[in-house]
Amino acid sequence: MTSSTLQTDYAGKRGALFKLALWSSVLTVLTAGFYRFWMKTRLRRYYWSAIRPGGQPLEYVGEPLEKLLGFLIAVTFLAFYIGIVNLLLMFLSFSIMNNNLWAYGFSFVGILPILFFARYRARRYILARTRWRGVRLGMEQGAWGYTWRALLHWGVTILSLGLLWPRMTFWLEKYRTDRTYFGSERFNQGGKWTMLYRPMLHIYVPALAMAAIALWVYFSASAASDSIDDTLLALEGYENLAFSLLLFPWFVFGLAYFSAKSFERLTNAKTVGPIGFISKPRPWRVFWIYAFGYGLISIALTLLIGAVGIVFFALIGDYGPDVFDENLALATPPLWMLTAVSMLSYFAIFILWGALKHVLVTLPLARHFAETLQITGSESLSDIAQRDRDELDQAEGFAEALDVGAAL
Amino acid sequence: MTTTIHVGGESPKMQSFANYFDGYSAVVRRVEIAIDDTSDGAFLVVSPPEVEALYWRLDDIRVVPDQAANDTIILAYKGDRVSRLSISDEETRRIITARCPNLHKRPTVENRGRLAVWSFGAVASVALIIFGLVPLLADQLAEYLPPKGEQALGDATFEQIRAALSETDLFPVTICENPDGVAALDKMQARLSDQVDLPYPLTVHVLDHDLVNAFALPGGRVVLFRGLIDAADSPDEVAGVFAHEIGHVVNRDPARGALRSAGSVGVLGLLFGDFAGGTVVLFMLNRLIDATYSQEAEALADSFAHKTLSATNIAPSALADMFERLREEGDEEGGILAHFMAHPELGDRIKSARDADSQLTATIRPSLSPDEWAALQNICE
Repeated sequence: MTSSTLQTDYAGKRGALFKLALWSSVLTVLTAGFYRFWMKTRLRRYYWSAIRPGGQPLEYVGEPLEKLLGFLIAVTFLAFYIGIVNLLLMFLSFSIMNNNLWAYGFSFVGILPILFFARYRARRYILARTRWRGVRLGMEQGAWGYTWRALLHWGVTILSLGLLWPRMTFWLEKYRTDRTYFGSERFNQGGKWTMLYRPMLHIYVPALAMAAIALWVYFSASAASDSIDDTLLALEGYENLAFSLLLFPWFVFGLAYFSAKSFERLTNAKTVGPIGFISKPRPWRVFWIYAFGYGLISIALTLLIGAVGIVFFALIGDYGPDVFDENLALATPPLWMLTAVSMLSYFAIFILWGALKHVLVTLPLARHFAETLQITGSESLSDIAQRDRDELDQAEGFAEALDVGAAL
Repeated sequence: MTTTIHVGGESPKMQSFANYFDGYSAVVRRVEIAIDDTSDGAFLVVSPPEVEALYWRLDDIRVVPDQAANDTIILAYKGDRVSRLSISDEETRRIITARCPNLHKRPTVENRGRLAVWSFGAVASVALIIFGLVPLLADQLAEYLPPKGEQALGDATFEQIRAALSETDLFPVTICENPDGVAALDKMQARLSDQVDLPYPLTVHVLDHDLVNAFALPGGRVVLFRGLIDAADSPDEVAGVFAHEIGHVVNRDPARGALRSAGSVGVLGLLFGDFAGGTVVLFMLNRLIDATYSQEAEALADSFAHKTLSATNIAPSALADMFERLREEGDEEGGILAHFMAHPELGDRIKSARDADSQLTATIRPSLSPDEWAALQNICE
């Protein structure tokens, strides 16, 4: 390691983030969702500033009002598309197929291109509003090119039963990376798509094993019985299926393994002129963050739901035996009170889930990926000049309206 | 915590260092900073090596908000989008915080005009779609929906409503199926729908729920709630509401309503986002139950009911009796009165139901015998 290699440190704290996430989600609910533009901006400022390569924090400079504006622009156009197209699809679906599944299917397929388009746009907006050491990142236009490529890659990947997933992941990442800039310097995604097969190992193996067990069980059962009904009957008794359930945790580990290893390989193959990256996330650590984080969230929410249940019984109990004899009409709590309590608990659960996810999953993951990242060749940073501001009227409006990549 | 900075009536000579980012290159510059109190006001003087010093007016210095690190503050200058000053020294941070009065002032809103224009644009577009295009299109398309498709639409909605009304969230609301009650209901239906020509069979169900309400669904489905039967004083009152709902079925109002909500739900979801996970959908389903059709649609269903009741020798004023009593009692649960209260002319409708008694040509015959009425009242037992 030379002196020009920069370590990344992480300054995020669970307590501060929890306060920020909790308070801004309360405001979001109180404003019927409109505070979400401010919430998102503030959370991003926090997350960005926590990541400090070479001790200098990233800065997020997006503004809430430009997000609101972009959202309004998107709604103006999308309202027409969603309203009319959904109506027509529902009509056709019921006229021709007599059910609404086709309408849901078609409206999903119809919205797919816009989803990919929106995601590229959102990423472009976020990069254009990200700065490090005073210099902007940025991304070239290319949302339509991304859209048709993404559609083709998804089609091919589905046809290949997921075997070409690494190919899709690599080429879409390369499309995005090769259009990304840090100031005046362009990013480049090197490497080959086949390098992502190794990271898929712990997904493919348990998936194949599960499929093999299911097939084996099915055929051995059908060999032992005469009709299809008998086969299905025989299947129910099989304990071997339970064995395949044991493979499930392995599969989940595989997902964590893939996210760590594919990030590592893609990042290490990225360059910005003479600047390079060294990323070494640990799969077990990523798996543990997911398992521990979601485990704790489940426990916390279970406790909350239990508490809500007790409040409910207390309410009903209050109105029960005491007043029952004197006034029958009061034997049950008024409807408005039950409604208020259920609305309150619904939002409490919703808000708590979001805030806990930030501190127990998103922050630890960001910390781990940041702390295991180094930047090499940093002496060339002084050659990098500023790039012009990208106005981007629509900000991430389409993604916001359609709820894609909306988490951060 | 108070910080004394004025010593002997003079400002302290703050002299310190900071990291400066000029916004032109990615170079981190170590700069000297000092506070200079001039007759023109107080300035933060930033002196990068080999470059002319910058004078930042203390009033116009802002701190970059929502930063994770608490060992550093990052300063920005009003009107300068790119320059940043990062200060780690604790004493310096304290002095800056004390001397700069507007550190946390929000930036002025740019694009006010455009925001206003697009807010108007978005609201207008959504309103145009929900109140203009979607109803227009839905009304046209409802005419062309084939009977089988309409029935499927009704079946799907019926199941959704049963699930949405369920209190346990596990099982949908029960359909009442006491055989004697069903026989009585069938008899009432046969009498009311004798003259009706529909492309699909008329089906009626009683749901075991307290709501004092009834509604029609696409594909010839009529749903009565037990609460409505409980609230009725005579079978003729139930027959009146039943006939009104058949009127909606004949006029295809439910198919229009369902297509409208198919168009509107998505648009509303767009506006509110997922901030509370699908509450909008539930809300829309509730609207469907309370389905407030247009005033013309209600008037048409009313006049259909009056005609049908008279033709089958049931007094249309039974409908008026039901409305009136519910109005007097004040129906707190919402339900049918809220449904009818949505239209200001409830009084007119009571009156027109009374007037419709003049259409009667033969002697009134009760819609059900006392025994049958008792069976209908017990249909959920």
